[in-house]
Amino acid sequence: MALIEVTGLKKSFGTNEVLKQISFSMNKNEVVAIIGPSGSGKSTLLRSLVNLEQIDGGSVQIDNDFLVKDGVYAKPAEIKEVTSKMGMVFQHFNLFPHLTVKQNLEMAPSLRKTESASEIEKRSKDLLQKVGLSEKANAYPSNLSGGQKQRVAIARALMLNPDILLFDEPTSALDPELTGEVLKVMKDLAEESMTMIVVTHEMGFAREVADRVVFMDGGEIIESNNPSEFFSNPQHDRTKLFLQKNLK
Amino acid sequence: MVEYWNSIIWPMLEGAQMTVLLFFIAIIISIPLGFLLTLAVKSSFKPLSWLAQTYIIVMRGTPLLLQLLLICFGLPMLPIVGEYLVFDRFVAACIGFILNYAAYFAEIFRGGLLAIDKGQYEAAQVLGLSKLQTTTRVILPQMFRVALPAVSNESITLIKDTALLYAVAVPELLHFAQTAVNRDFTIVPYFIAGVIYLIMTLILSLFFKWLERRYKFE
Repeated sequence: MALIEVTGLKKSFGTNEVLKQISFSMNKNEVVAIIGPSGSGKSTLLRSLVNLEQIDGGSVQIDNDFLVKDGVYAKPAEIKEVTSKMGMVFQHFNLFPHLTVKQNLEMAPSLRKTESASEIEKRSKDLLQKVGLSEKANAYPSNLSGGQKQRVAIARALMLNPDILLFDEPTSALDPELTGEVLKVMKDLAEESMTMIVVTHEMGFAREVADRVVFMDGGEIIESNNPSEFFSNPQHDRTKLFLQKNLK
Repeated sequence: MVEYWNSIIWPMLEGAQMTVLLFFIAIIISIPLGFLLTLAVKSSFKPLSWLAQTYIIVMRGTPLLLQLLLICFGLPMLPIVGEYLVFDRFVAACIGFILNYAAYFAEIFRGGLLAIDKGQYEAAQVLGLSKLQTTTRVILPQMFRVALPAVSNESITLIKDTALLYAVAVPELLHFAQTAVNRDFTIVPYFIAGVIYLIMTLILSLFFKWLERRYKFE
């Protein structure tokens, strides 16, 4: 059974239909890259999975639990339970500016009260080391570079031990020379078999790291394939056109 | 000379005590009240929101002096209930300042809320924080930080506005200065009063500068 199962997902902003009957599924340990022109609905799809967007129809099932079944949302407690299996990394990091790096990592788990303070502290220390920012534990986000902020954001999402990590254009707000350090962390996660969906414009990352590339345009999934097939032998004209423009 | 000096400075310092007392009472009550008003304005229960908005429009849109006169002299003139609305002048003044300043603080805090990026709410939601946790742990600390310079400004205005007590005959700093001016036909007391106000506002702005540095988050 798939870890994420989306069927017939519909979403409109006013009269603008941004997602038209999307169906999509992915398995545990899979890394899926979603690419496509801006306005194609890829971020909206991602945000729908964690209930940051309210969808108008269809079903979303995470790990066999319904977030939405045939357009009807689960009860609030169930929604919270389902979405807690996913962590999210945003384009603009969304770190809490009034908290230090360490506090950013530890706030959510300590409010959950499922672990002791010392366990939480140990894990935040380990995760900061993993993203290479141990020495920044007591710094405030305003004193970090974009790349560092995004690495903190990834560590913060990992603090809740998610089954799935969602990335919404994680490098789009970064200076080109800073994207590498973030992509490196994501690559490491992929190698540790983290299940990830990455909305991205980084064709190199999609090609090298993803198990599958999904191309969206105009609110539809146009094509979905393994990276080598996808990039060397695109099936649809719209995919070909997009790749021509975006691959130098 | 020293004797004359003493004869005007001590009453004025006593008056300044009244000023400081009013300042603290007004600020300590109107800031939380202003915050409650902000919440009322933001409330999804529309009648409450309209009521709060109307309150703010009225309190900000009419002179504080008019409000003070109304509370001190107007309310007791009301038929039937009037006799129960005769307050001590100082108490009446405190009520006037609190009600008026709460409206200003409400607007300042609303501005602070508007300055918070929606990404902060989204990050909190995805991290599994409840609405209450999001408000107390994420939104309010940032709102107060953003509002700090405006709160500082408003507090300095409050110190100076206490001079309005003169009009309702509460013996504060300006009252004693004016008494001395009338009695001795000299303008020196005005300058002394000015210096005392200046010292108070200076201390206050230094305090807020310190707060801003303390909560710089850098």
